[in-house]
Amino acid sequence: MPKLVNIIIDGKNIQAEEGRNLVAVAKENGIFIPSLCYYEHIEPPLGTCRVCTCKINGKFGPACTERVSEGLSVEVDTATLKDTRKALVEMMFAEGNHICPACEKSGTCDLQHMGYELGVSSTRFQHLFKDRLIDFKPTRMVMEHNRCIKCMRCVVDVKTSDGKRVFNYQNRGNETDVGIDYDQEARLTEEQAVNAMRICPTGAIIVKAANMPEPFGDRKFDLVSEQKNYNAKEKVTKHHQSEMGKKKIATVSLAGCFGCHMSLLDIDTEILDMVELVTFDKSPLTDIKKFSTRCHLGIIEGGCCNSENVETLRYFREHCDILVALGECSVWGGLPTLRNTIPLSECLEEAYLNSVTNEPGNHIIPYHEDLPKILDRVYACNEIVKIDYYIPGCPPDANHIWKAVKNLLWGEEYSILYSEFKYD
Amino acid sequence: MTRKITIDPVTRVEGHGRVTIHLDEYGQVKDSFFHIVEFRGFERFIQGHPYWEAPVLVQRLCGICPVSHHLAAAKAIDQIVGVDPVDLSPTATKLRRLMHYGQVFQSHALHFFYLASPDLLFGMDAPVEKRNVVAVAVENRDLAVKGITMRKFGQEIIKAVAGKRIHGILAVPGGVHKTFTQEERDYFLDGKNIENIDTMIEWSMAIIKFMKDYHEKNRKLLDEFAAFPSGHLGMVNDAGGLDLYDGKLRAIDSEGNRTLDDISTDLYEEYFSEAVAQWSYMKFPYLKKVGREKGWNRVGPLARINMCDFITSPLAEKERQEFIAFTGNKVNNSTMYSHWARLIEVLHCAEEMKILLNDPELLGNDLVRSGTPRLKGIGIIEAPRGTLTHHYEVNEKGMITRCNLIVSTTHNNDAMNAAVKWVANNVISRSGTITDGMLNQVEVAIRAYDPCLSCATQAMGKMSLKAELYNYHGDLINEKFKN
Repeated sequence: MPKLVNIIIDGKNIQAEEGRNLVAVAKENGIFIPSLCYYEHIEPPLGTCRVCTCKINGKFGPACTERVSEGLSVEVDTATLKDTRKALVEMMFAEGNHICPACEKSGTCDLQHMGYELGVSSTRFQHLFKDRLIDFKPTRMVMEHNRCIKCMRCVVDVKTSDGKRVFNYQNRGNETDVGIDYDQEARLTEEQAVNAMRICPTGAIIVKAANMPEPFGDRKFDLVSEQKNYNAKEKVTKHHQSEMGKKKIATVSLAGCFGCHMSLLDIDTEILDMVELVTFDKSPLTDIKKFSTRCHLGIIEGGCCNSENVETLRYFREHCDILVALGECSVWGGLPTLRNTIPLSECLEEAYLNSVTNEPGNHIIPYHEDLPKILDRVYACNEIVKIDYYIPGCPPDANHIWKAVKNLLWGEEYSILYSEFKYD
Repeated sequence: MTRKITIDPVTRVEGHGRVTIHLDEYGQVKDSFFHIVEFRGFERFIQGHPYWEAPVLVQRLCGICPVSHHLAAAKAIDQIVGVDPVDLSPTATKLRRLMHYGQVFQSHALHFFYLASPDLLFGMDAPVEKRNVVAVAVENRDLAVKGITMRKFGQEIIKAVAGKRIHGILAVPGGVHKTFTQEERDYFLDGKNIENIDTMIEWSMAIIKFMKDYHEKNRKLLDEFAAFPSGHLGMVNDAGGLDLYDGKLRAIDSEGNRTLDDISTDLYEEYFSEAVAQWSYMKFPYLKKVGREKGWNRVGPLARINMCDFITSPLAEKERQEFIAFTGNKVNNSTMYSHWARLIEVLHCAEEMKILLNDPELLGNDLVRSGTPRLKGIGIIEAPRGTLTHHYEVNEKGMITRCNLIVSTTHNNDAMNAAVKWVANNVISRSGTITDGMLNQVEVAIRAYDPCLSCATQAMGKMSLKAELYNYHGDLINEKFKN
């Protein structure tokens, strides 16, 4: 008979078998401790990511490496701890190049899942945009180092049939990355390779020619939160209840694709009710080119890729009370930041000099006083001006957008549904 | 021109598209330019990525017509896994077609109702506060509701097959990833939750009627405004009928002579070249054989109706015949007829969707095929705005090594510049001062092409324009924001 011990999690008395894993015990008792590197059958747990940080007997530490013992006292749900865990996840997003819209693991990605669970709508750390390798040398896999969070799961868990390791840590400090033993990798069976892809918490290990097989909405992390009362209300900037009355909105698309503007229109005929409540001032949807008046709300789609985007964004900041970054590109730069690790000259040469349909011998690259100057990289809007509110998504759902807009303009009751929280 | 102008960036507001018009000492237009001002570099930064990511990655080129990019890339990637369009399973082809017709349907509805209809309803000289879809809704609520509901129908089709309305995923290399269920299909047929496909066909006819009435009253304007000769490019099936998803490339000159005779899309690079101008980030494609000066083609609805022998669906074919009767069965080179042509395509898409929705094969389970891998794939599709080309090359490891995109709107670059020149020469030249109405006419001319500079680079129908007038010294003599 295993020995039962008494522990306290957030003031709740719990009995559990001695020596069991704290994250698992908490989960069985309906208490959600976020975790990322933790993977049930990896023993001992890795403790590398620190996302499960709790206060254990008065000290901060990872819950996944903690064994349950008599009298253990654990704090999980405090403001400081939640913020700490959220910051850790934000740092992972800022440190790698995570482009959810173009990733095979989107919808089944543990990192993305933690972002949703913890309500990460933007990162408070500047993205590093490091130039990382996409390694095509392995036989069965593509190693996407842009997405690797160095959790060590694959290092300890992926082995060939005769028990040889395939992945290993190499280099030190913040240069650490995960290397592949190509010879051993070639000896993996198809099933073992697929398992390696599955065990990777992000999209760093991709089995070649893997598709995105699950339709939106049917994917693992699309609809249901692990938290019983998922409610991202506290992430919403609560503005003072303001007077009802017609509000003025301005919108712009900077270095975006116009998808967010299309999503604005995707409330269909409800837009006819909305225009009873708001008027559009400067916007591509109207013919108003310059602000005709100060606006209550400015909605920004897209990041900044040229000098004109920067000027326009500043112009919006000057003329809007509240500025909202709408969509991934606006929030942190998004998919166009793929060019951030490539010299601008190479991008221009590829488009204007080297393309297969270019005229042979062409030496012209557009450069003209009537063309804005292209910036060295794509910038997030909050690198240029203060952004008051972030709506993630590619594009965000129409209902989510308008809920947020109503909340910001009139302070209405509002909460983001888990299913609305998306990066793709 | 040797003048030198300094542009202060602060004055540039919403500069996705920009027009400059240059006058000589007599106020005569010397030159005009339609500048595209954004550059994003997809062709370079997609290199080094695995080929199967391309269809989801490149659709972020454009949020108005992401389906077109998704499918053009998918067709190219099909070839990389050794699957040509004929080798695709019937179910996969039909699901992709359904999505494509839904996309063209919603995109055309968006353009006509949300963007272009204010100019037609209120006139080009209408005050600025009138020129938007909200004013259309106030003036003609029925038209607005129809327009919005039609766009909704197209968007719902896309959502049903791709999971969401914008940037969904349907295609995977060699097929599609989702079975269409009977329940999903019935949603569009039974009319219980949304207006059904028959209503869409009926409304499409009603909108064409609206356009024909407008044509009756404004014939001269439609005939003359921004009319100029040009080539016309599009895609046809083996019988010469219009095909938006797959077929052969055909181009005709302004007189109707074939300049590109139903060639395989795989051969596009032998026939097309792209010029680069110092003053625009958008390139200028043309047919090599015809040359830079006359070899450029209009693309999109007007070009397609001009170059095809017939439309494959009966109601739209009847409308096409009526349409071409106005030019005595000759090529129609009038910019403003693009609106009418676009609406005929709306009807065509509704008819094709109805056929597909009633096809039992749409609900099949045979989704993905494969073949012998290749190192190069070319996918060409007729996007809402015209012929769209995606071309990828990969190495034997599956890494993209090269990418070439010729986006629909790029083909219209010369045409839009010609349209701007027409307005400059016929409306602005020697007029002294620029009025707001004149500037809107520049926009109306551009807008008829439904340019999607998001794809080619950036912006949308109601583009912000800033017109500047320079004298022969190159000094700024008049400047006006369209406002």
